[in-house]
Amino acid sequence: MTDNPYLRLTREFNEGKTRAIICSGQAVVLHGLAVMSKDGDWILRENESDLDHVLSVLQENGARYRFGAPLALPWMRMGWSSHFEFQDQDLRIRTDFFTRPPRLTLEQLSALWTEQESATYPVTDLVTLSRLKLTNRERDYSVIGEIARRLENPSDQFLWSRSVRDLIRLAKEHSSLASSLTERRALLVFAIEANADRLGEELDRERRQHIRTNERRLEAMQALMKDWRSHWAVLQNEIRDLPLRQAHEMCVEAAARLLPSE
Amino acid sequence: MPLRDEFLSEEDLDLANLPFEELVAYWNLWLRQAQATNDLDAREYSHGVMVGCKEPPLEGVENHDG
Repeated sequence: MTDNPYLRLTREFNEGKTRAIICSGQAVVLHGLAVMSKDGDWILRENESDLDHVLSVLQENGARYRFGAPLALPWMRMGWSSHFEFQDQDLRIRTDFFTRPPRLTLEQLSALWTEQESATYPVTDLVTLSRLKLTNRERDYSVIGEIARRLENPSDQFLWSRSVRDLIRLAKEHSSLASSLTERRALLVFAIEANADRLGEELDRERRQHIRTNERRLEAMQALMKDWRSHWAVLQNEIRDLPLRQAHEMCVEAAARLLPSE
Repeated sequence: MPLRDEFLSEEDLDLANLPFEELVAYWNLWLRQAQATNDLDAREYSHGVMVGCKEPPLEGVENHDG
């Protein structure tokens, strides 16, 4: 069977237990939507032993820390992300991790773990992937637009579609459902009215609002890591030739002083 | 044929029709080709809360900001 570095890592992370769910760019691939990212992203279970297992796998693969939070509970609980890199033959592999992905409630996260528990390759479902894709990158809204066409539930299609034509067609086919969803997505009023110009304007406005919201979230997090960022070059020079676990311990020690945690 | 709003390329849309083995083979090919830009994005972050950040430069290591 043809293997892939991100599938191999997912199997290693999940050996004996589901600890890691593929999300973001490589989830887009596994759903057969597009190939557009070199990096792998995973949502991890938020407990010490599972983070420790993932760290061991990364060490076995010769990974080093990139700038980011330590892969440890106090920072994961606060929504920070951890980043690593290693070489797999001719491929540069980058791995990104969090336990509290943005825009998912704890209930949605818990349901995701339950759904993916026995999957060979645990991956975020299409609605969850759409939530994660409400980023500040324009291209992610194209992905959401295509995801919406793959959703089976008309309610989900109404809530996620980014197509003027699709929304007007859906509103004709499910008029009472469209009306019932206007409280959750106000622009559906213009789909019901078949007002294509206004609906297009509102879809643009909605995208810009999502982008601004995410930018504000990132700006707030990045302001909190100012001291950590200033110290990183020094720390990186100290840990660059160390085995990952040893580097991790030094990262944790330094982050305890410089990076806000829960 | 009625017009539809297009979000992704024809090439992307065809991925949904590939058997898993062929999808993985295409994915691997894409990853190999994408290594060509490794120098350009050596210090960039595209994910997580570091998105948009540049990795702070290491002392004595050439930076690739160009």
